[in-house]
This record gives sequence, C-alpha cells and structure tokens, in this order.
Amino acid sequence: MRISLLRSFLAGCCCAAIGLPIVRAQEPTPAPDQPTPAPEQPAPEEPTPAPEQPAEQGAPETPPAEAERRPNRRRRPVVVIEAGTVHPVAGPTIQDGVVVIRGERILAVGKKGEVEVPDGATVQSFPTGHAYPGLVDAWTDAFTDVSVRGDGGLDAGDAVADALRLNDDRGDRLVAAGITTAYVAVASPATLRGQGAVVRPRREGFEVWQGHERAALGLRLTAGPAPSHALQRQQQQQQAAALFDGLEEWKKARTDHEEALKKYEKEFAEYLAWHEKKKEGKPGDKKPEGDAKPAAPGEQAPPASPPAEGGERPRRGRQPRPPGEQPKPSEPPKPNEQPKPEEPPKQDGAGDADLERALGVLLDLLAQEPQPQGPAKQEPKPATGEPAAGGPAGAAKPADQKEGDKKDEAPKRPTYPKAPPRDPQKEALQRVLDGELPLRVEAHRPDELRAALAMQERRQIPAMVLERAFGAAAVAGELAARGVPVVLTDVLPIPMPKAYEDYDPAALPAVLQARGAPFAIASGSMRRAASLPLMAATAVGRGLDRDAALRAITLSPAEILGVAKDTGSLQAGKYADVLVCDRPLFASDSRVLLVLAKGRVEHEVK
Amino acid sequence: MNRPIHARPRCAAATLTAAVLATTLATTPLVAQDLVIQAARIVVAADTVLTDGRLLVRQGKVAWVGDDIPADARARARVVDYGDATIVPGFVLAQSTLTQDADLAESALAFTPDLRAAEGFDPWRKETRELPRCGVTAVGLSASPRNVAGGIGALVKPGREVATIPVPELHLTLSLTQAARNEERPPTSMMGAIDLLRTTFTIAKAGTHAGPDAAVLRQVLSGSRAVFVHADAYTEICGALDLARDFGFTVTLVGARDAEKLLPRLVEQKVNVVLDSLLPESRLEQLTLPTRLAEAGLPFCFGGRPELLRLSAALAVRNGLDRRTALQALTRMPATLLGQQASIGSLRQDHAADFLVFRGDPLDLDAKHLATWIDGVRVYGEEPPAKKPAAEPAATVAGDN
Repeated sequence: MRISLLRSFLAGCCCAAIGLPIVRAQEPTPAPDQPTPAPEQPAPEEPTPAPEQPAEQGAPETPPAEAERRPNRRRRPVVVIEAGTVHPVAGPTIQDGVVVIRGERILAVGKKGEVEVPDGATVQSFPTGHAYPGLVDAWTDAFTDVSVRGDGGLDAGDAVADALRLNDDRGDRLVAAGITTAYVAVASPATLRGQGAVVRPRREGFEVWQGHERAALGLRLTAGPAPSHALQRQQQQQQAAALFDGLEEWKKARTDHEEALKKYEKEFAEYLAWHEKKKEGKPGDKKPEGDAKPAAPGEQAPPASPPAEGGERPRRGRQPRPPGEQPKPSEPPKPNEQPKPEEPPKQDGAGDADLERALGVLLDLLAQEPQPQGPAKQEPKPATGEPAAGGPAGAAKPADQKEGDKKDEAPKRPTYPKAPPRDPQKEALQRVLDGELPLRVEAHRPDELRAALAMQERRQIPAMVLERAFGAAAVAGELAARGVPVVLTDVLPIPMPKAYEDYDPAALPAVLQARGAPFAIASGSMRRAASLPLMAATAVGRGLDRDAALRAITLSPAEILGVAKDTGSLQAGKYADVLVCDRPLFASDSRVLLVLAKGRVEHEVK
Repeated sequence: MNRPIHARPRCAAATLTAAVLATTLATTPLVAQDLVIQAARIVVAADTVLTDGRLLVRQGKVAWVGDDIPADARARARVVDYGDATIVPGFVLAQSTLTQDADLAESALAFTPDLRAAEGFDPWRKETRELPRCGVTAVGLSASPRNVAGGIGALVKPGREVATIPVPELHLTLSLTQAARNEERPPTSMMGAIDLLRTTFTIAKAGTHAGPDAAVLRQVLSGSRAVFVHADAYTEICGALDLARDFGFTVTLVGARDAEKLLPRLVEQKVNVVLDSLLPESRLEQLTLPTRLAEAGLPFCFGGRPELLRLSAALAVRNGLDRRTALQALTRMPATLLGQQASIGSLRQDHAADFLVFRGDPLDLDAKHLATWIDGVRVYGEEPPAKKPAAEPAATVAGDN
C-alpha cells in the first residue's frame, strides 16, 4: 500500500513535469433532447452515449485492451452512422456505408448490411449525406492570442501549449468546421518559435492531446515577402543553422553527468551496504549520520536523517518513544555532515523493483529516529536553531568519527555530481537532433528551402517538415527523394504579394503529387479554418487528384503530426472522429451536419 | 510590235476586273468561320440551361442557341466540342480601376466628374491580360475612388494581347470613402465631401453653370447617366442615400460594407450594390451579406479584385447564397448595373460570345477552368480537337438549375 501511494505520488510529479493537458470546458453532457437521427429515421432508442472518464482531466487514457480486462466495466453503447457515401480515406469510397462506433473508437466501417451491428445500437442515418474522417489541420494559430503570435522573444524551450486560451470568436469553433485535430503553432517573428502542440478542438474549447503537448519545434528560415536578395537571406539562414552549434559540448556535459550519476549510485550503494553490514554486526551502535553535504550551488541539500535502527525496516513516521524519554529536538544537519541523499530520480520506465528499492532506502532515511548513543559514540549535537549546513563546513567536527576511526575499512562517501546548468533551448534542439522532436521550418523561396534541406543534411536532423514552401515546385524532386513533408497554406485562388507573384500555391499540391513529395494542406490561420475544404477543392481544380486532396486534409496531416494511428481515417480501432456533410465536402455549399470527436457529439445541426 | 486592235479591249477588261477584285478584297474584311460550341451543359442565363447544348457563334456574337441553329449554318460551322464541360457566360466585373489608380485619379482636384477613365487607361498592361485567366470577360472601368467625383467610366474587354474599349462612356463615379478625403486638398472630412456634392448638384440642377462638369451632373439628375458611389461605412452609405433621395436619382453603392445596417432603406430607395471581394478571413457579416441582400430582394453583384471574383461567389454560396443568384451576381447582374445587359452577361442571341468553359460547376472551386472566349475568340485555355459537324438530337432546355 505504501508503495502504491508513493507510486501515485511520483506519478503525479511526473505528470506535472510533462505538463497536464489543459481543461477549457466542462465535459459536454449529451443533451437528452438532442434529436440525433435524420428526419427519415425514427428517434433513436438511446441517446448519444455518455463519455467515459475524459482524458482532458489529466488521467491517462485507458487503452482498449486494458478496458477489456476489467470484468465489471460497463459496456459502452454502440452508435452507428449510416451515410449515403462513406469516405474512409484509407480505402475506397463506400456507397451506403456505415461506421460503427463503440465509445471512443471505431468498431467497424463497411457497407450497410455487410457489417455486423450489435443489438441496441443507436443509429443516425444520413441517406444522402457524406461521412468523412474528422479533418486534421496541420497548422493553425487557433486558441492563441495576438500577443503570443507577435512575440519575437519566443525560443525553443517555450511551449505554445502553455499559452493556449479561448478567444471567444469564431476562430475557437474549429470543430464546427469539421476539424477534430489541429497542430497549433504561432508564426511569430522569432527565429525559434517555441514548440507547438496538437490539440483536439471541442464544442466549447479544446483539449491538448496527451503526449503531444510539445509536438514539434518551429523555426523561421524565411525573410518573408519583404523585398530582399539572396545574400541577405543567406545571412539569416546561416544564423539559423548556427543555432545547433555547441550542442555537442552540451550533450557531452549531460552525458558525463549521467555517467557520473550512475557511478554515484553505485558507490553510494556500496557505501550504504558497508554501513548496513556494520550495523548488523553491532546492535545498538548508532549508525553514522550522514555528513552535512555542502549543497552545490543551485541544488537543494538532501534531507539529513540517520538510517533505521537494527535490521528492521521502520515504519513511516516516528518510532514510538520509550516511556519517560523526552522528545529530542529535531537535529538539523551538522556542518560537514553529509546527510544521506535521496535516491537519484529514476529514469522513465524504471521497473517496480528499482522503485521499491529506492523508496525503501528513502523511507529508511526519512523514518529513522536518532538512536541513543554510548559515550564513546555520542556525537556532538549542534545548538538548537542552528541552520542546516548549506555551505562549507562550520565549527562542528565531523560527526562520523567512526569513519575517521575506520577510515581504512569504510568506503569513501561519494560526492553527488554537479549537474550542468539547465538550458531549455538546447534541450529542445538536442531533442530535434535525437529525432524526438520534429523540426518545422517555415521557408518560402527556393533558396530558403534549399538552405533548410542543406541544414537537415549537415546536422542529420531525422524529422523535418517544411511549412508554406511557396517555391517548393523548384525543389520537388529533392523533397520527394528525402521524404520531407510539406505543409501547404494559402491554397486558394488569391493573389500573392508582389515578391511572390511568380509562385502559385493553388497549383503546388498537384506539382508535389506528380513528383511524389508528401504534403498536407493546412489553413495556416484560425480565420481560414472553415475554408480548409475549399483549399483542398481549389487544389483539385488545379489538377490534384480528388482522393489525394481529401487525404491532404485528413490522413497526411495526421501522419505528419504523429497521430495517424489514432485519427485521420475511418478505420477500426481509430478514434471515432467523424464528419458528416449533406453533400460532397468540396462543394461550395456543403454543410456540416454532424461532427463526432472520440465518439462524442461536438457539433450537430438539427 | 503592236498588239492587234481586236485584242486591246479584252486586255483592258481583264485588268479592270482584276483591279476591282483586288479593291474589293482589300476593303472587305475576311469573314471568320462560324463556330458551333457544344458542351454537356450550357448556361445561357442563370435561368436557362441547355443540356447537351450548342451555340452558333458568328462574328463574335451568339447567332443562334440550341435547336434554333439552322441546319445549313451548323453544317458549315467548325465544331468545338467540350464534351462533358459546363459553359457559362463570362464574368463581368462591374467596377475596377484595373490597378491603374494613379492614372485614373486627378489628385490635385477632388471634383472632376467630366474626366473620362477611357482616356487614362493603358490597354497593354500585363494585369489586363491576366483577366481571362480569372474568367473576366468585361470590366466596368471606373475612375479611382480617391476623388469625390472621379469621372466617367468605360466598358473594357480584355484580349489576348491588348484590351479594347467597346463603350467609352458609362457611369459617373463618386466616392465618399476615406480615400477621397485628403489632408492635402479639400475636402478633408466627410462633411466636406458631402457638402461638395450637394453644392455641385444644386448648381447643376439650377442650370446656372454651363461647364462640362455640370453637364455630367445634369445627366445624372435626368437619369441618362448612372452613378456609382463608393461608400463602405454606415455614415458614408447614409450620405450617398441622402444625396440620391434629395436629388432624385438611383444610386449603385460600391463596397457597402455596412449595408446590412441599412437594408430597409436600401430596399426603399431601390439601391444596387457592388460588393467588395470576399475572403475566408472576412468577417461573418461580410460573408453572409450577399445572402441578406438576396433575401431582401436587392440587386447586387460581386466586385473587388478580378482574381477573387470566383472565390467571392464560392464563399457566398458557402454562407447561404443559392447558386443561381450567385451566378447571376457574376454575369447578368453586373452587366445590368452597367447598362450593357443587351450585349454581355448572358449567351442569348445577339449577345457577345463571351463565355467560360469549366469541367464542373464554376461555383465549386474543384471545377477546372478550361477556357475563356471573348467575342468568339479563345483568349485563355485549350480547345478540344476539332470534330466534323454532324446532325445531333435537339438540345434539352432545362429550367432553373
């Protein structure tokens, strides 16, 4: 029980470290009076299923496999969406198709009559409607305010997720446009624009996708449409590439520190073991107190407490006092004493055994009462109120005289290694180089795009995405060869700034498709979110395949954002993110009838 | 040696005949071959759609439509068959300076109603050659809104290389927008701009002034010349409406961003509206304004930048406007506002053969724009392989589509 409580405590600390998802809205309660079916169908037997424990409240999502193992878990109701045409994206279009949903996930997708529907399912029928996966916007600035978007002081360590908020305007209503997943980042004037987040828009708010709070790092490698020449831009590109300089040394310092920590763990374990053995051999002896370790600058001095008496593992809290014994004042760590330090924090994924061992040692240290000592072993006590030793040794002599006496036998107490100063920017850049954090580079002109590709090659950046990339036609072959995806914006029949009048973003998707370069189409702005389907339609009008256009606003951006196993297409096992329209999505007068996100109704037109 | 006397008259006759023939050929223009344009769907006008239809184009005009085409004319014509495409009338841009603001605004004087935009227009500008790619086949060239009374507009039609001006004088352009209020010369305020117009119209009405500027204003007062007034904000629109009411003329508002706030009054005064371009990031009130105007029965058309015409219509449809009204607002209605409905804006008989070819509905952005024809000449896009004319079943005329 103790272990389980502590595990929960440590788990909570870990959650806080990685950032709890932000809750912006109350859990939408399915209104019992919501008329769910289309007019042609009778009223459903059951209302829209109530959601389970929502992920946005901080608890990690329960994987379906684990849910099945809980025998007493209430089986979630089943919802069936029938549509005249179902567009799974991952497969061919299905006429008279159905999407079967249980809880948050899709159970099955197929032709009506060929897919098994559980008894008691709620059916919503749209005989002439078109069902699509929820749209995925590969880049938006929704839920950010003007100050963040214009903040030139952002750096690589900043997380956009920390600044997300509702703006109470139509930019908040992404889900009404059918968008169920979006990557939020800001096109600030800063070179490094912080780390964007993947969010799930909701009816009145949003939730940050757990594990994707820091989804990618933004880098501005473009001079923008202001008049400039190639040499000016080259200077800017070199400055951006130089951001990665010095990371080797920093990484080495980190690696050295980690190795030193491991060595410290080992040596400290030996040190403890020696004293445990010694304690076992001499009952009643006072265990040596830890010397007051002078805390390194900036570090917190570990708590000082002697080990437990005897060989028993003490209970947490104070030992019962013998009758008549006066409570002793709490002893601050003596100068020159090195109190037993905590176990170093476990790395992610530490097993239970290691956790238990570490916790055992910690509890031993915390719970140990100072034991009465014989005259020979009595250690000098400092005056009451003396502050804990936080600096060099004071007047008190070393408490562990035994160590002095048995210097020859006792292992030397190891010194806790000093950690290198924390640098969130370097941490983020290192994560980019390690492939843990994709780098999203905004580059417009061909020379900027080439500079981005050269930087990727020189720095061996595993995951890079190009944004905007108006001049991508000139480097399409290289993009295809390297598999660098491009997030295209401004895919509309709109005039470009004078400096970009030779570029044609509306025709770019067809060009990239022809060359085999991966791409997605994004709104680029919350004000254009509702026009995401029109952008895909524009691309079709300029030569892009219809299926590729639909993929460019669903599965392709999901792949770029790393959430393709959960969304982006209508497939069994994925989240029930479903968009139903009254006519084909690319028709100008197509109306959104229903939007489900994780099986919950987020938008519905009655 | 002398020719025989009896041969002399024959030589002279032959020479004379040759001379007459040469003169005739030199003075008579070459007659272009008739064209039969075929497509799965031909939108003659917003309310007249031919399925598997055809047009016969002769000398730049629509000579016959559908099954009215005489068999012999059809047999002689060259057939251009666009297969499963849709043909619609060319888009008419009711008001634009075609990026020539500087040459179409006399900045030293605010009141120049008699200046003619046609005289300041450069027909060779690159921007004019881009119009067919946007589907624009006719433009109401206007004086710039930077003057309170900018001048008289003209009808311009783009071509492959150079634009033409078939109608050199159209409406009068007035402006009450911020652009017309200039710190460097009067009027500098809204009050000053309205006062200037009132004063000049009063003088014109009184007939005491004989200058060309007063003559133009008298044409407006008599109803023989239309007037377009640039007005966006509520006060600007009110100023224009007050002027029109007080002096008894009909006005066409250009821009009219705040029109929704004055809908009843616009209906009462039978005002026409030329809207500015719509963009995805436009305010919701702007995106739904076409629908509100249509519901109120107000004549309106899309204006603004030529590249944004089709997008404006698509966004209006996305925000509630019906397709038929949207197509009318691109074609017939702007032609009517320019007073040119007898020649452009539809594909009825004797109208100019100005049309666009799309694979799909032009109001859907996924429809591919295949070609633009102006006055029976293809100025943009490709032409399908020629086919021999053959007897075909009569076209089906559909109602509202």
